[in-house]
Amino acid sequence: MAKGFTLWFTGLSGAGKSTLAQRVRDILLERGLKVEVLDGDVVRQNLSKGLGFSKEDRDTNIRRIGFVCNLLTRNDVVAIAAAISPYRAIRDENRKLIGRFVEVYCKCDLDTLKERDPKGLYEKALKGEIKNFTGVSDPYEPPEHPEVMVDTAAEDVDTSVAKIIAALEEMNYIPAAAGGEYSADEEETIKRRLQDLGYI
Amino acid sequence: MRLFGRRKKRRACVVGLDGVPFGLLKRLAGEGVMPRTAALLRGGGLRQMRASLPPISSVSWSCFMTGANPGEHGIFGFTEVEPDTYRLRFPMFGDLAVPTLWDRLGEAGKRCAVINQPSTYPARRMPGALVSGFVALDLEKSVWPKEHLRPLEQMGYRIDVDTRAARENLDGLLDDLFATLETRRRAAAYFWERERWDYFQVVVTGTDRFQHFLWRAVEQADDPRHDRALGYYQAVDKFIGEMWDRFHQGAAADHEGEGFLMLSDHGFCELRQEVRLNAWLREQGYLDYETEEPKSVAEMAEGTRAFALDPGRIYLNVKGRFGKGCVEPEAAPALREELAARLTEWSHEGEPVVSHIFTREEAFHGPRTELGPDLVVLSRPGLDLKGTTRGKEVFADTHFQGMHTWDDAFVWSRLPVPDQPEISDLAAVIEEWLRA
Repeated sequence: MAKGFTLWFTGLSGAGKSTLAQRVRDILLERGLKVEVLDGDVVRQNLSKGLGFSKEDRDTNIRRIGFVCNLLTRNDVVAIAAAISPYRAIRDENRKLIGRFVEVYCKCDLDTLKERDPKGLYEKALKGEIKNFTGVSDPYEPPEHPEVMVDTAAEDVDTSVAKIIAALEEMNYIPAAAGGEYSADEEETIKRRLQDLGYI
Repeated sequence: MRLFGRRKKRRACVVGLDGVPFGLLKRLAGEGVMPRTAALLRGGGLRQMRASLPPISSVSWSCFMTGANPGEHGIFGFTEVEPDTYRLRFPMFGDLAVPTLWDRLGEAGKRCAVINQPSTYPARRMPGALVSGFVALDLEKSVWPKEHLRPLEQMGYRIDVDTRAARENLDGLLDDLFATLETRRRAAAYFWERERWDYFQVVVTGTDRFQHFLWRAVEQADDPRHDRALGYYQAVDKFIGEMWDRFHQGAAADHEGEGFLMLSDHGFCELRQEVRLNAWLREQGYLDYETEEPKSVAEMAEGTRAFALDPGRIYLNVKGRFGKGCVEPEAAPALREELAARLTEWSHEGEPVVSHIFTREEAFHGPRTELGPDLVVLSRPGLDLKGTTRGKEVFADTHFQGMHTWDDAFVWSRLPVPDQPEISDLAAVIEEWLRA
C-alpha cells in the first residue's frame, strides 16, 4: 500500500504553517513514517534562490516545491510543504500532479497577524516598506475545499495539530496511533455490550 | 466465447449472515422456510467453512475483510489485556494491522460500499462508503463519508438490537430484530442506488443475536416463539432475494450468480452450560486472585501461571511478557504441554469438555503471532467456554440458548473457492474476480 502523501500547508505569513508543519512532522516520525519538510523560507534560500515575489516567481517557487513533493510522495515519503502558496490554481496544479495531496488551510485574520508579527513584516508592509506582501499588497486566494482547515487565531497549536492528525487517520493516510483507545465512557459501554452477549 | 466484444464490468455482492451455521441454513432452505436461499442452493455452491480461531466475530470478520490470519492482522478477540497491568482493552478498527480487501480494491481503482461490517469502528476513509457494525457505539463515528449520516438517521438506521433488554423480554427482542433488519434493508437499498460501487457488502448481525437468545425457538417446533422465529429467517431470506434480484437487474455477471457470495463468520449450536475457564484454571492451581470477587484478570495474584480471555484463549503468565509474569520463558513449553494434557483429560458428566486444542503456532502465522494466546481451546457442542473471572463454579447455567462453533460456518459462491474453505480464503477469491 502506498505510504507517501503530501501535506500542503497554505496561509498568510505568520499564520502558523511552519510551527504546525514541525509539530506534525514529529508525530509522523514517531509513528515510523519517513518525513521531509519543505519550508517556504528555507526553499527560497536554495531551491528557489534568486526568485522574487512577482506572481510569476511565486508560481515558479510553488511549482518547484510541488515537483519535489511529488518525487518524495511517490517514494513513500510524507512530504510536508509549508509555504504561503497564495494562488489557488498553482496549488490545484500540484494537487493534480501529486494525487495523494492533503491541503491544510491555516486561517488567521489580519488583525491577529498584525498583532503577532514576530518578524515585524506586517508593520513594514503596511508602511509600504515591503512591496508585494501577501495579504497586504498582494492577493491571497484561500482554498475552497481544503481537507483540513485550522483557525490559528481561535485555537491553540495542540488543537490544530490534533485536528490535522485526526484527519490524516480518518482519511487512512496514516495508521491510528498505537495507543488509540476508547474513552472511559466508551469502554464502559463496550464492556456492557460484550457482557450482554456473554462475551466477558 | 466472446470475441472482440467489450467485457461487462465485474461486480461483487456479499451478504453476510452473522453466525448462521451451515446445517441450519441447509435445513431451513430444505424445509421451505428460506425459499430464495433454497433456489440458490439447488444450483450448487454451498460449502461448510471453518471460521477463525477463536470462532468469534471480531476475529472471523477481520480474517474475512483482510484475507489474513490473526497472526497477521493482529485481532485475537473482542478483548486484549495490557501486558503490564492486565487491564482489559478493546481493539478498534485502527488496530487492524493489514489493509482490508476494500483498501486493496481501492488501489486497483475499485469502489466499495460496506454496510454493518463488524469490527470496523470507528469508520475511516475507504474507497467508497462504510457503515461500521458491532461494537459500533455512535452512528456519527460509524459512517464514512459523513454525507451518508443524515440519510441513515432519517431512515431510523439501527446499529444493533438492544441486547440488554433482550434478557428480560424475548418478544421485545424479536420485535427489535425485525425492525433492525428492516433498517438494514433500507440502508442496503439506499447505498445500492446512491454509491458508485464495484463491491457491495451488507452483513445481517441479527441472526447471531437471535441465536444467542433464541436458538431453541428455531430448533424446537414446540417452542412458544417457533413461528415468529421462522418468520425472522423468512425475512432474512426475503432480504437475500432482494439483494440477488438487484444484483442481477444490471446483468452484472456473465453467468447467473457469479460474483454473488453469502457467508457466515462462524457456526452455532445449542448451549447447555457455560464453562468458566478461569474458574477451572483456579481450581487446577494455575490461577489465583487478590480479591474475593475479581472483576477482571487484572486482580490476579502473584504466582498466577495462566489465565484465560474470552472465548477459549489461554495465556501463560510468562516473565517478560506480562507485568506479573512468573513463568520462566524456558519453562513455558512444558507448562503449555501440561495444561493441554489436563484440558484433554477434562470431563464433565462423563464426556470430554474440550474438542480441540491448538497451540499458538498451530493456530496462527504471521508477524503478530507472538501477541496471540498460548493455547486456543474449543469445547464440545453445548458447553460454551467463557473468559469471565466471575464465579467460582466452573459450570454454570445461563439464559443464553446458543453458542458459537468453529467448523460449520458456511459460504455460498459460484466463484471457485477451496474445497475445504476457511473464512480467510474468501478475500482472495473476491479480489481475483474483481481484478480479472
